[in-house]
Amino acid sequence: MLETLRLDGKAVVVTGAGRGLGKAMAKALAAVGASVVCAARTPEQIEGTVGEITGDGGRAVAVPTDVTDSAQVNAVVDACVAEYGKIDVMIANAGGGGDPGGPYEFWEHPDDAFERTLATNLKSTFFSGRAASKAMVEQGEGGVIINVSSGTALRGNQNFAYPTAKGGVISLTKSEATMLWRHNIRANVIVPGFVSQRPAASDEEAEIRKNRGLFVPVRRLGEWWELGPLAVFLASDASRYVTGQEFIIDGGGLAGGIGPVNFAPEHELDG
Amino acid sequence: MSTDIEHFDLSGRKAMVIGVETPAGGVIARAYAEAGADVALCTLKADDSVMKAKQIQKDVEAQGGQSGVYVMDVTLGRNVQVTTRQVAKELGGLDIVASCPDLFLGKTIAKTSDSELQQVMAVNFNSQFFAARSAVGELKKNEQGGNIVLVSHVLGERGVQNTAAYGAAHAATQSLVRSLAQEVGQHGISVNCISLGWMDWMDDRIDPQVDDAGRAVRFSIMKRAGEAEEVGPMAVWLSGSGVGYVSGQVFKVDGGLLQHL
Repeated sequence: MLETLRLDGKAVVVTGAGRGLGKAMAKALAAVGASVVCAARTPEQIEGTVGEITGDGGRAVAVPTDVTDSAQVNAVVDACVAEYGKIDVMIANAGGGGDPGGPYEFWEHPDDAFERTLATNLKSTFFSGRAASKAMVEQGEGGVIINVSSGTALRGNQNFAYPTAKGGVISLTKSEATMLWRHNIRANVIVPGFVSQRPAASDEEAEIRKNRGLFVPVRRLGEWWELGPLAVFLASDASRYVTGQEFIIDGGGLAGGIGPVNFAPEHELDG
Repeated sequence: MSTDIEHFDLSGRKAMVIGVETPAGGVIARAYAEAGADVALCTLKADDSVMKAKQIQKDVEAQGGQSGVYVMDVTLGRNVQVTTRQVAKELGGLDIVASCPDLFLGKTIAKTSDSELQQVMAVNFNSQFFAARSAVGELKKNEQGGNIVLVSHVLGERGVQNTAAYGAAHAATQSLVRSLAQEVGQHGISVNCISLGWMDWMDDRIDPQVDDAGRAVRFSIMKRAGEAEEVGPMAVWLSGSGVGYVSGQVFKVDGGLLQHL
């Protein structure tokens, strides 16, 4: 039954594929046979991802894309269909905290800063799902949408705009799953916790990560490549009875989360 | 056999599957074997389930893996512990423990007797606690830790009438997963749960006297029951080398049953 994990002959778009988690997922999907369109704003970065995939014998092309512009998102799906004849999987991964300016008190947070955060993280995910599902419905062979949210969406934060947008991504995914199954399209959402985007650039950075990792139940931060196996599972028929679900990958943090406390390990029964 | 898909290859890993006579347990054992693991096949109790285990043993050994059948009474903690140690000794170590008990009870709370409640809790929850406790004892010996996969049911997080005892037992299992993940994460042990929806072997659980017994399945997004083979790959993912940062989670194999209004 593990042959269902293979993606030979499948055409995949990965947004935000120039670095970090998107790059890791694009490489993992290509390694199991997928043909990949790597989309992101910075041409040099996505060309780098394409170079690594093709260097390993995989198939990939780079399409510079600003995911906050729906016309460009439509165009990247068109490019996938033009290049590979179809689109089977959309990984709407692009997003980020960006620089909203500030810091602002909540009651002073400017309209344009909030709108920028929504555009990068939530509207972009809607644009990606809309463009991909339109093509998938026209093809009539179903498909898979994988969105990427954030663990910050599931708890209150000192910063609200990014978690709010990412919370919208989870809700959007559940509705996509509900609306699109009649066309055999599944939708799931990956919810990363503290995951490093790349190897540490210095000893100091490695030390910071090590110390932050002590607050995670598995005692370390996650690493970019760890999104790969999950993306393969969700993109493939191996997960064919799974839709509308969030896949939290956070070292166990959100399953706990009553702060860095331990209860007495030897506390006997009362009474 | 093994797979060439990175992080789904379990070659050289030693797995123990408890409840191989259940459809989920049987398919997980086969999936582990397909991924290259050695698999100890453990029954929930000493009855004709041994015959099912022996059939699965043939399939596992056909994949080239080492295997063995172990008859247990999973409601006895000491029995689970002794068998776990025996499995580790005979396989030459233990890396993965999957536990798949399932004893359904559909009754109003008024008609659920003390002994029925105790039995439902003992098979569906206590056995998971025993499996996890014994697994932790063995997996902590490994430098790399290991993986614990508990199979549960979506009734552990949604209320349905006449399943008070069964749902509570599965809720307990899912809570166990969250707590234990915190406790053993420092040892490199991941603890996760596969929560099943309406599977095709659960037809007899819906009251056939009701005019529209098929409505339960139609309420899922996919409008069909799940099949055993749809559980296998997720279990392999949750037991592979790429899952170290996933722990304390309850993943549904439910066709979207819990994901919509």
